[in-house]
Amino acid sequence: MEYAINLAILFLIYAILGLSLNLVVGYTGLLSTAHAAFYGIGAYAAAILVTSHNVNFFMALLAGVLASALAALLIGVVLSRFAGDYYALVSLGFNVIAYSVLLNWQGLTRGPLGIPGISRPYLLGLAFSSNGPFLVLALIFLAMAYIISRFIAGSSFGRVLKAIREDEGAIQVFGYDTVRYKLAVFVISAAMAAAAGALFASYITFIDPSSFTVMESVFILAIIILGGLSNLKGSVLGAAIMVLLPEALRFAGFPASMAAELRQAVYGLSLILLMLFRPQGILGEYRL
Amino acid sequence: MEILSQLIVNSVIAGAMYALMALGFNLIYSVTRFFNLAHGVAAAAGGYAVFYLTSSLGQNVYIATAAGIVSAGFLGYGFDRLVFLRLRRRKTSSMVQLVASLGLLTSVQAVLAILFTNEFQTFPAGHTLYNVLGGAITGTQTAVVASGFFITLLLALILRHTMFGKAVNAVSDDAEVARIVGIDTDRVTGRVFFMGSAIAGIAGILTGFDTGLGPTMGMGLLLKGVIACIIGGMGNVWGGTAGSMLLGFAENFGIWKIPGQWKDAISFVILIAFLLLRPEGMIKK
Repeated sequence: MEYAINLAILFLIYAILGLSLNLVVGYTGLLSTAHAAFYGIGAYAAAILVTSHNVNFFMALLAGVLASALAALLIGVVLSRFAGDYYALVSLGFNVIAYSVLLNWQGLTRGPLGIPGISRPYLLGLAFSSNGPFLVLALIFLAMAYIISRFIAGSSFGRVLKAIREDEGAIQVFGYDTVRYKLAVFVISAAMAAAAGALFASYITFIDPSSFTVMESVFILAIIILGGLSNLKGSVLGAAIMVLLPEALRFAGFPASMAAELRQAVYGLSLILLMLFRPQGILGEYRL
Repeated sequence: MEILSQLIVNSVIAGAMYALMALGFNLIYSVTRFFNLAHGVAAAAGGYAVFYLTSSLGQNVYIATAAGIVSAGFLGYGFDRLVFLRLRRRKTSSMVQLVASLGLLTSVQAVLAILFTNEFQTFPAGHTLYNVLGGAITGTQTAVVASGFFITLLLALILRHTMFGKAVNAVSDDAEVARIVGIDTDRVTGRVFFMGSAIAGIAGILTGFDTGLGPTMGMGLLLKGVIACIIGGMGNVWGGTAGSMLLGFAENFGIWKIPGQWKDAISFVILIAFLLLRPEGMIKK
């Protein structure tokens, strides 16, 4: 049971990450490979505030969201000028920089040692220290992320995003400042990823930079491409499959020491197969 | 004075290494028009092939190096035949090919980690120090500089003076027209993948001799090569090498004043500056 709850919580965290990345990649058509950076900023901000400043988890989460949104604003000012392949490449670069900051700013992040002893959340006498209540908390966060994403997708703002995806030049002719729209959706997406990061930090109770590499960004990308771009249910479905698939392999008899590499091989291979045979994913409404 | 000459020597070594990555990447980009991120893992695979042949099979270093270069080439060729060729025939966008190459990078890198573990592997290489203009350089690093120089020259000559080179130029100018005048574009592209990946293999092997091998080394090499290409000018042999040298000098002179771990950050700042101010690179095609 404990094992199933653990997987369910990881699934919920990745579903939030998938939903938020889908806003940028699926709805706006910008291939961002920097999502793990914002996930990491949220996780680190929350972890540092909870451990060394004894801040309540929910306040720390909010601070993480703000920090990540601010970082996304600064990065987005540069990034939003690009489109297509160059967007993918420059965002990859930002993830590399974010990772090296987490690794090298040792005074703040303790570098490769990571931050241990992050406490579980509590609110108004309600403690989420065991995994059951934490699952409920994560579920509430996923529901919030889903509602926010659905609202954005259905709003006039969301329609402009889709128009940018289909033909950025044409929508500019109608007087829309596309750079501003791209920036806005990027910041919203980063803020949501940061909330997932704070949840992750307090769930695992230990974080180090290795959870926030470019490869993690590729993993989140694989989730939404598998589930289907520009479809919110697809992101949730993709997260479920991508979290459960490596576990299935473990039961098939592969040794646990190779778990991380095996997971990488699986999602790398699934990206190749998807591009070859079904680039729109399972439920996708848009293909790259 | 001594610091200055050492910095210059280090910059040239780094620049030559980046050039080896940039040349192949640029060559492949010029005919396929997408960012082939799997290029990085071709370099790593070349290095590991040499490691396997020398330490497990006890082969001679020179034979192993030649075999490593060829196997990196065949890996790249295989990527093209199995994945990219099919995507090209379906006329998919460059983003789809980029994502597929990201998948190849991730999965082959994971396979390397499963086969050879995540531990850092080193070659039993001699570390004789030579003195050039007051700066120290090892034998391996001399090989890096020499390979960077000769392969740039060789590639430029091939592209300019052979039938194959003319075909490559034709495909990179306009693949559709090239096909109409009777060039077998798929065959040319396959050979370009072989050549480009073999050159990346040289970079991976030399990195193995110089500092050692890790399964994720391809990513770092790749990023430097890509940045060098963009700041030098995409789709241009000289551009890739010029960008590599600029990058090597900027990084090594940068860490004179800034701590060394910010090398990667320095190179990305240069990339962004170029993208914003001079997106066509140093040498325009």
